[in-house]
Amino acid sequence: MRAAPVTTTTTKRRAGVIAGAVALVSAITLAGCQAAEPEASGDPVEGGTLVYASGDAEPTCLDPHVGGNYPQALISAQFLESLVSRDATGEIIPWLAESWEPSDDRLAWEFTLREGIEFTDGTPLDAEAVKVNVEHLKDPATQSSTGYLALGKVEAVEVVSDTVARFVLSAPDSALLESLAQPWTAIQSPAGIARGMDANCQAPIGTGPFIVDEWVKQDHVTLVRNDDYASAPADAANTGPAYLEGIEWRFVPDSSTRYAALQGGQVDVIDNPQPDTIAAAQGDDAFTWLDAPRPGASNRIELNSGQAPFDDERVREAFIRAVEVNDGIESLFFGTAQRSYSPLSSREPLAYSDASLFETDLEAANALLDEAGWTARDSDGTRMKDGARLTLRFPVSTNQSIPAEQSLFEQVQATAKQAGFDVVISLLDLSSWYGALAVNEYEIVSAPYTKVGPDVLRILYHSDSIIPAPSGYFANLSQLDDPEVDALLTEAASTSDPAERAALYEQAQQLILGGYYLLPLYDQQNSFLLSADVKGARAMPTVSTPSFLDAWLIG
Amino acid sequence: MWAVATLTFFAIRLIPGDPAQAILGGPGSQASQEALDQVRRDYGLDQPLIVQYVAMLGRLLTGDLGDSYALKVPVAELLGAQIGGTLLLAVLSLALSWVLALALSLVSTGRGRVATAVGEGVELTAAALPQFWLAAVLIAIFSTGLGWLPPVATGTPSGLVLPVVTLAIPLAGFLAQVMRESLLDAMSQPFVISARARGESALGIRLRHTIRHAALPGISLSGWALGWLLSGAVVVETIFAIPGLGRTLLQAVTLRDIPVVTGVVLLIALVYVVMTVLTDLAARIADPRLRQEAPR
Repeated sequence: MRAAPVTTTTTKRRAGVIAGAVALVSAITLAGCQAAEPEASGDPVEGGTLVYASGDAEPTCLDPHVGGNYPQALISAQFLESLVSRDATGEIIPWLAESWEPSDDRLAWEFTLREGIEFTDGTPLDAEAVKVNVEHLKDPATQSSTGYLALGKVEAVEVVSDTVARFVLSAPDSALLESLAQPWTAIQSPAGIARGMDANCQAPIGTGPFIVDEWVKQDHVTLVRNDDYASAPADAANTGPAYLEGIEWRFVPDSSTRYAALQGGQVDVIDNPQPDTIAAAQGDDAFTWLDAPRPGASNRIELNSGQAPFDDERVREAFIRAVEVNDGIESLFFGTAQRSYSPLSSREPLAYSDASLFETDLEAANALLDEAGWTARDSDGTRMKDGARLTLRFPVSTNQSIPAEQSLFEQVQATAKQAGFDVVISLLDLSSWYGALAVNEYEIVSAPYTKVGPDVLRILYHSDSIIPAPSGYFANLSQLDDPEVDALLTEAASTSDPAERAALYEQAQQLILGGYYLLPLYDQQNSFLLSADVKGARAMPTVSTPSFLDAWLIG
Repeated sequence: MWAVATLTFFAIRLIPGDPAQAILGGPGSQASQEALDQVRRDYGLDQPLIVQYVAMLGRLLTGDLGDSYALKVPVAELLGAQIGGTLLLAVLSLALSWVLALALSLVSTGRGRVATAVGEGVELTAAALPQFWLAAVLIAIFSTGLGWLPPVATGTPSGLVLPVVTLAIPLAGFLAQVMRESLLDAMSQPFVISARARGESALGIRLRHTIRHAALPGISLSGWALGWLLSGAVVVETIFAIPGLGRTLLQAVTLRDIPVVTGVVLLIALVYVVMTVLTDLAARIADPRLRQEAPR
């Protein structure tokens, strides 16, 4: 499957959006929108401060090496940069490293850094700095989670010369470049890191187009332009300093307040718009919708095959045959989300889809359940077997599932009921949700996972990922335990041949989809609404964070 | 205060979530066993609950609220930075609700059946309005519709208008209901008739005589009201994106940041205590009878 490029969609005014026909009309509106090239909107204008309103949680630390979540990635991508990046086609491209070369045994990679680049504190970007960063990520005291996992096979970094850093691996890693393209493994000033965690969390120092000036907790972070900026990624339109003088990065948790502030001109860009807001903004040419689904896994419902009743493949298939989600996605998301039939995001060039596996058929579902022995019914119509009810516990994280998704899950509940499943949805806060998963109190669950590259499949479906971390967390929530899948994923992660890698991932995805371990829903939704006065902004093809290096303000 | 600290300490341990995980990057963290053990030792989380409890009381007695698990800064510093904004919001809202409540009860009490019915209807509706709904309506009218006021409070006076009004309207409805009753009571007292006999106008009577009676229950309710406003701040601060204690509390509960939750709860309890003392004093000023230590 080809990856869908990130499109900047200029909304067009359309008349007659009637409440009853909103879904249909928005679908038509979307289909009618053309991708606009940012370059086509006139010459860049120097100056101005862009106000960004973020609905993601305010980070507790601005250094994405510490912990490593998406809110940190969003803001740190404005001031930190990585060794490599990824372009819209999924190709790895130069950034702070201008070239790289693996050894024949693929156990050592030499990265040649761009010359003459300095961090904003004046420290030169050299091989020693790269070494310090990798050691920082691997140091338990840093408390890195995402970056630490991404560099799992990196044993050490050796300084070959000022500009050449050698990564020494414990095993070949075909995902190394993709791992290094992520904001969680960005390169920071060693002098900044040396200040200690408290100071570095307040204002990490990077090579990026902006510099952290001030962080007023719960309110905003002031970012000012790096006037000496000269390290744009290879696919940027602007290779010099940013046109904007700065960014005021505000934390506005309420989504309708964010949209009201955008409508009133108080802010220029908002993230996390709700689907109904996007649909409303479609009818107004004062706004631009930047749709940037996240890479890695698709949003999907995982079926826990580690225990009854989903240890029986027939019951899993029955659930997938019974559940109808297409209408719900269409109406609840106002046409802003595309149905997925793959475990991977459409942003991943190696994503494999098979819609034929997910056709709904209530009769087939009933027949499968009868065959599996769930023949009795209780007074509610829920199927029974040996005195046990066909109950599916469905913990839903209110932090991770937007209201539209929660409503979709209610439709899953309603359609599954027709086949005799009793889906019990519990809305939980994040801690309680992880708690329920850790003690295996779920039959179905939806958990997003953002990562660059198809290696996310190994994290989500390799049997090693069923073994819980000390905190009780484990990533393989379908508890898929198949030696054939394990072998394919392990081989794909170490092969050097791109064609072989693609074939291995395709086979693995066929097995994962064909075993009915998951119900893909749509890409992990991620988008931005921009005032029409903002030109040239784009989402990075790495993890879809917004980039304002190429952006300018008119009017 | 001791009771509040004790309740908070045990209540927060009833909700699921491991404090050691909260320290190491929050829920879903993939911290190693060594790191978890280290943190449990450092923070004394490996001790029996009663030992932790006594240790916490000991720290509180010396005025030490501890360090935030998530932000790794002293709780006192964190709360000190946020309390100003929340108190300003609460005090302004209290003042506005007083003005609204007095105006409403003075205007509509004892002015015939229609005025009373309208007044009572307004009060009841105002008191029953949910803040999140009121905030959304105010934003829709004054920000999106008219463009007069910003929906995001950015530290300017105009940004505070909508949040203050959102908090004040339900409270004003509540206060006005109480004031109306005592005002009606006072209006039927003999001193009103004698004032009328001296030639005092209807408005004069209200402003010079009965207003004190109306104010009394309002004053004693203000202590409660400020506490109510502090909890209302959680909603309003989130909607209008204002930095403050409400958002601090919300984030701390989500992240299972026990020291911060305890700190905020203690602080609100302290405000209740201080306000109760203050309202008692204010009641004495408004009602001379309370100044004589005569038995009732």
